[in-house]
Amino acid sequence: MKDMIRWFLLFILSFMLIGGKWAFAGDVGAMLKAMADPAGAPFYPVVMQVLQVLTWMLHMIFVYTSIGGLFFTIYGFTKKEERWQRLAKATLELSKVSVSLAIVLGVAPLLFYQVIYDPLWYTSANLSAWWYVLFIVFLLIGYYFIWGAYFTKDKPSMSMLMSVLGVLFLLLVGFIIHVVNYQALYPEKWVEWYTDGGRTMNISGWNIYAFNVFRYLSFLVFPSIAVTGVFLMLYNWYFRSREDMDKDYLDWAGKLGARSAMYAGIGWLVSHILYIFTIPADWGAKGSIFTWLSVLGLVLCAGVVFSSQKNPAKMAIPSLLAGSVALLLIAVFREYLRVASTARFGYSIYSYKLNLEFLSPLLFLGTLLTGLVLYAYAWWMAYQAGKTPKGKVYEASETEHHLGDLSVFVVILWAIVFIGVGLIVVVRNYG
Amino acid sequence: MDVLGFYPMWYVPVVGSGFVIAIIAAIHVMASHTSVGASILLAYLATKAYRENQPQIYDYIKKYLLGLLVFSYVSGSITGPGIWFSATVVNPRGISALIHNFVWVWAAEWVWFIAEVTLVYILFYTLGKIDQKSWLRLAWTFAISSWATMYIIVGILSFMLSPGHEKWFTTGSILDAFYNKNYFPHLLERTSYMFAIAGTVGLAIAALMKKDLPEKVYKDIVKTLSYWGIGGIVFGLMFFAWYVSTLPERSHVILEKVIPLYLKLPIMLIILVVLAHFVLAAVRPQAVRFWMAYPIYALIFFMGVYPEEKIRETIRKPYVAGEFVWVNQIISRDVPAKGIKSEVPVIDQKGLLTVNPFVPEGLKKINSQNEIMAGKAIAILQCSGCHNVTGSTGLRPFGQKFAGMTDPNAVYGFLTSYLRDNHPPYMPKLVGTDEEIKALSAYIAHMISKGGSVSAKIEVPNTSAEAKKEVQP
Repeated sequence: MKDMIRWFLLFILSFMLIGGKWAFAGDVGAMLKAMADPAGAPFYPVVMQVLQVLTWMLHMIFVYTSIGGLFFTIYGFTKKEERWQRLAKATLELSKVSVSLAIVLGVAPLLFYQVIYDPLWYTSANLSAWWYVLFIVFLLIGYYFIWGAYFTKDKPSMSMLMSVLGVLFLLLVGFIIHVVNYQALYPEKWVEWYTDGGRTMNISGWNIYAFNVFRYLSFLVFPSIAVTGVFLMLYNWYFRSREDMDKDYLDWAGKLGARSAMYAGIGWLVSHILYIFTIPADWGAKGSIFTWLSVLGLVLCAGVVFSSQKNPAKMAIPSLLAGSVALLLIAVFREYLRVASTARFGYSIYSYKLNLEFLSPLLFLGTLLTGLVLYAYAWWMAYQAGKTPKGKVYEASETEHHLGDLSVFVVILWAIVFIGVGLIVVVRNYG
Repeated sequence: MDVLGFYPMWYVPVVGSGFVIAIIAAIHVMASHTSVGASILLAYLATKAYRENQPQIYDYIKKYLLGLLVFSYVSGSITGPGIWFSATVVNPRGISALIHNFVWVWAAEWVWFIAEVTLVYILFYTLGKIDQKSWLRLAWTFAISSWATMYIIVGILSFMLSPGHEKWFTTGSILDAFYNKNYFPHLLERTSYMFAIAGTVGLAIAALMKKDLPEKVYKDIVKTLSYWGIGGIVFGLMFFAWYVSTLPERSHVILEKVIPLYLKLPIMLIILVVLAHFVLAAVRPQAVRFWMAYPIYALIFFMGVYPEEKIRETIRKPYVAGEFVWVNQIISRDVPAKGIKSEVPVIDQKGLLTVNPFVPEGLKKINSQNEIMAGKAIAILQCSGCHNVTGSTGLRPFGQKFAGMTDPNAVYGFLTSYLRDNHPPYMPKLVGTDEEIKALSAYIAHMISKGGSVSAKIEVPNTSAEAKKEVQP
């Protein structure tokens, strides 16, 4: 047993040491500057940065419920009790929908990130190119396993097997994106990695150069359980008012969620602190306020979840808010690491070349406002439908009908404006 | 350090890294066209169910929605970012050029993605749980949101082919870039064909439900889908003709002289098959069979979408974005409005190996020891986007293109007179110093003399530290 532990620690250490190889740096600053796209950013980089942080946070909530939901499903299916079986199916449903949302929400942070940190992302992705492409393949396979688990949910052993495979693929996908993000933080090592000290060019795309187990655990594994725990508290809160739902079951699920969130939250906090200790000293991250604010956010969140243990339904919304604040602070910390790493070489997104234009930001803003009206209506109707007992039909109120008409109107208006502007431009340029 | 912003190169022997994009993109086009077409067809059918009081149509819609969720919203939503991911490693500078011009346009598309993905789940879960009128509204907003994603991506795809107008290079205006010459024909062509694609899979689903639906409802659904499908094909052909008329001159040359018949012919055939299938279904709805409709749907992928995507990617050459980034990622012309400078003069003067930060120091200065490896590195950096540069099979292979040319001087003569000084319209000009072109010639002659196939591994005689010492004694 001791040998196994030793080998395991050695394995982790070796991964961490890969990131510590002697670097053939050259003029890293000049390289980063040359790599920044000559087209420049079409809007203020700080806006891209803020949007990137906010949208990453939204994306991660559903990444966590995708993976965490499957953890609960797998454990639930191993239990004979009816409530566990029921919970397993509910969290499987949560996971299935969450993967879709995680995918679609993941587009925005990567988009904004690539505008201001293009040197980091494109280099790191190309260093491990095949893995980066396999991210998509593994995600596809993993998601089909989850659908397989959903279609076989009445056969627990088969569904559990599918869920195990599904979560393994999602964890692998998480591993790949972790590697790409982590490698991106070490520009001084890229050339050394890619050329093996100048002996070759690693064009195969099969290499993985850096991994940090604590970062992986603290950014993916522990939060998955903790955030899904908070979702179970919300599950309890949301369905309590439905007369056809079993209150005892809901209370049990809520308490299970609160307990899981607390224990996993402790793991999250510990792995987060351990990760902080592995950050190289020359980044100055250990003395940064952003670093310790992220720790504080987790501590405060753990406090709220701790006080939720007796009445999870009542504390579901405060826990959600506390969790969101903690996650936001972690998103800020994660972004701060990029700033700290690249600052060593004089790279700053705030001095990124600017080719300012206002029409496309206006398009985004207009589309976002249109979308918000539509989301408000659609999600509200979904919320009401979920509250309606089985076999009954929810009849929309007068106000809801008005909101519905408004959402159809704004969406059609958007399409007319979009196509209309296009016609004017085409006639002007080619007419 | 005098460098240009190149990234580490990824090389996939034989098929080429572009093949990875092609596969992912074709799956995505199939899934996305199915889902966008279906969103409008289903909203139309839901309106029919509501107005004509035919609630059984909802059973059909529910089944179709489940099919969409399992196929389009798994494969489609993953392969969409998949195109982006694969482009990131195949052509990082190309995708970067697009993102730096269109980030807000893509962000607007993202708003519709969220609407689309959340609405498909909401429609599936709330069917029969909320009143029909509210559900119908959601169905139409879903349809327009889905279609809006196409409005947006088509503008970017069209810009990749060409900004359409010289004006953009001096105005840099997003409007000039986005609403370019072939935007509308491209959008209308895709819009038309998507009804044929969604209609075909719709017939397969209807055939599966034949026994569960009243005969009148079944016939109504099949006829509706068939009429939309026939319309889609007819209008698709018309808009295709318009689309071709808006292509740049070089694309016409490629279309006529470079694109092989084995890519063009299947498209014509599958269009005829799909049209005949719809006509049959419209005349004799009872004759529709799952075993007939579903294979036709699969054939649309192999005979229609994949060749079409291949052709579309090829007629864009030698560019990958906006007629200023070549397919080998070199910026080939100035864009004054954006302050972008052509990299060709710098590369011709200093050398491709010198300006690429990811080339080992030991290859930057060419000598008799490293000449072959330097030539191989140049081939991979400059030519592997469109050629298998280490073998005789697969993607336009060097082994075949230079067959019999074992004399470096002969290769050099060909490279300089044909590819550097008088390059064809679909290929980028061969760039680099004369010394580099000689190294490339030496490598090609070497690989041909080895039977036209060599390992892709690059071995550098000196480490970077040693090479640096040599340069700075």
